[in-house]
Amino acid sequence: MNQLEIRKLTMKFGGVTAIDGIDLSVAEGEIRGLIGPNGAGKTTLFNACSGRYPITSGEIIFGGERVHGLKPHEICRKGLVRTFQHVTLFKGFSVLKNVMVGNHLHANHSYWGSLLRTPRTRRSEAESARRAREILEFVGLGNILDREAAGLPHGHQKALGIAIALAAQPKLLLLDEPCAGMNNDESREMIDLVRRIRDTGITVMLIEHDMKVVMGLCDRITVLSFGTCIAEGTPAEVRENPEVREAYLGSQANVA
Amino acid sequence: MEQTDRSSRIAWAALLLASLIAPVVVGFDKYLIHVGIIISLNVALATSLWMIWSLGFISFAHAGFMGIGAYTSALLFTKLGLSMWYGLWLGAAMSGAIALVIALPLMRTRAVYFFMASWAVGEVIKRNFAYFRDFFGGWDGVFNIRAPKLDLGFVEVNFADRLAYYYLALFFVVLTVLVIHRINNSRTGMIYWSIHENELLAQHAGINVFRHKVIAFTIACALAGLTGALYAHYQTYISPKSFDIWKSEFALVHVIVGGLTTVGGPVAGAISLTVVDELLRATGYFRTVFFGAVLIAAVLLLPGGLETIPGRLRSFFKRSDK
Repeated sequence: MNQLEIRKLTMKFGGVTAIDGIDLSVAEGEIRGLIGPNGAGKTTLFNACSGRYPITSGEIIFGGERVHGLKPHEICRKGLVRTFQHVTLFKGFSVLKNVMVGNHLHANHSYWGSLLRTPRTRRSEAESARRAREILEFVGLGNILDREAAGLPHGHQKALGIAIALAAQPKLLLLDEPCAGMNNDESREMIDLVRRIRDTGITVMLIEHDMKVVMGLCDRITVLSFGTCIAEGTPAEVRENPEVREAYLGSQANVA
Repeated sequence: MEQTDRSSRIAWAALLLASLIAPVVVGFDKYLIHVGIIISLNVALATSLWMIWSLGFISFAHAGFMGIGAYTSALLFTKLGLSMWYGLWLGAAMSGAIALVIALPLMRTRAVYFFMASWAVGEVIKRNFAYFRDFFGGWDGVFNIRAPKLDLGFVEVNFADRLAYYYLALFFVVLTVLVIHRINNSRTGMIYWSIHENELLAQHAGINVFRHKVIAFTIACALAGLTGALYAHYQTYISPKSFDIWKSEFALVHVIVGGLTTVGGPVAGAISLTVVDELLRATGYFRTVFFGAVLIAAVLLLPGGLETIPGRLRSFFKRSDK
């Protein structure tokens, strides 16, 4: 069974149709690439899946359940978690605290516990910090736990954004341009990180403009153009698809 | 980090001790004990206002909710003869209940819209007290709200006595600050500040942002209601004017001058500005002008507020060590 099923999804903003009847399904355990020219509707698709904007029509089924119409925090709790294209962090917080906010979901939290500071609350807070440290080790930020998020270099900020998402224990992770603005070394580390995330059993769908990244990393690629899905397949298939060349890369383009 | 923790604990303990022995130090001077009570009430109000700020909101309805607590407790006493021991809790509960209902639409607004909406809420609450003359006493207010007595078996404490009321007010302000401090330092507080920092990300990290906003607003307003009841039974007289927009604005000024990021901010701000305000009493007509000058000086000379003083001192001494 597919983990994510999008059926006839349409998103309209006033008179503009950003997504026009897209069908898309993602299988468990794959790394799916989502590409297309600017304005194709990639980020809008993420916004629809994560509940940021209400959908106009269609269905979004995640793990066999309808998730369209749910609030972002409810969708996150079901295991569908996203990151953002622009660095989006709790900037005034330390690195560790950023991730602790992310994993509050999986720690029991109550107002009485906060007020009385019961042993159970303390244990659960210590556990939360321990898990946050593990996640930060995993994304490679284990040695800068106390640094303020706002002062980190760009690559570390992007990794921290992913760590916050991982803390919510996703089953499907939506990464919006994880390598945007990165140099080659940072990109390589990010690719490695995405692979390791998939290896822990998390499905990944990512938007990316860097063709080297997409072709090298993804199992399958979906190509959007003007709000519709024009191709889907393995990187090799997509690379050879004339329609993709035409729409996305220009007819003369030589795809690396 | 741990060292800061320890020194802040020492500072809190010192402050509490100083408050406990203050009446003795001032030789049980009636006027100074009165100032002490006003300080306590201002600290409680500013701290609960700061709790709403921790989610990123500046509420101008705070004095209104203080008024709901005050009127509830006052009317329970004058109409039903219930003492403040009931009025305190029922006043807080009434204020919290009304805050909860109002929060449902109010907490959906943001930034400047929240600012305007909360201003309107505070004004409407005040005008209700004035409008329903038969019930709330109109602009004349409510009189003869007496302080309670407490029979401890061997001795009866009459809180109409200023000294006794000072300790009563101190007890409740400590309770208020403690509750808010606990919440702020827990995971709940972390969630509040995360909403303050980045609401979009908080939502997508699985936090029910709206629910936390409503709960925080309700708790803060209930605590303001408690403060209001304490105020009513101390002053023995309340009117709609006691809870107008200026009261909210003073509380806000206490928070800003004290500092916005820790609970020590509103406490320090309310203490020092209440003292300044009392010192300026001698200037009579020009009191508000001088008060304004002090505020401007505080904001210009000490950006970040009084709470930044310990950090400034520490870095100053570190530099002179080298």
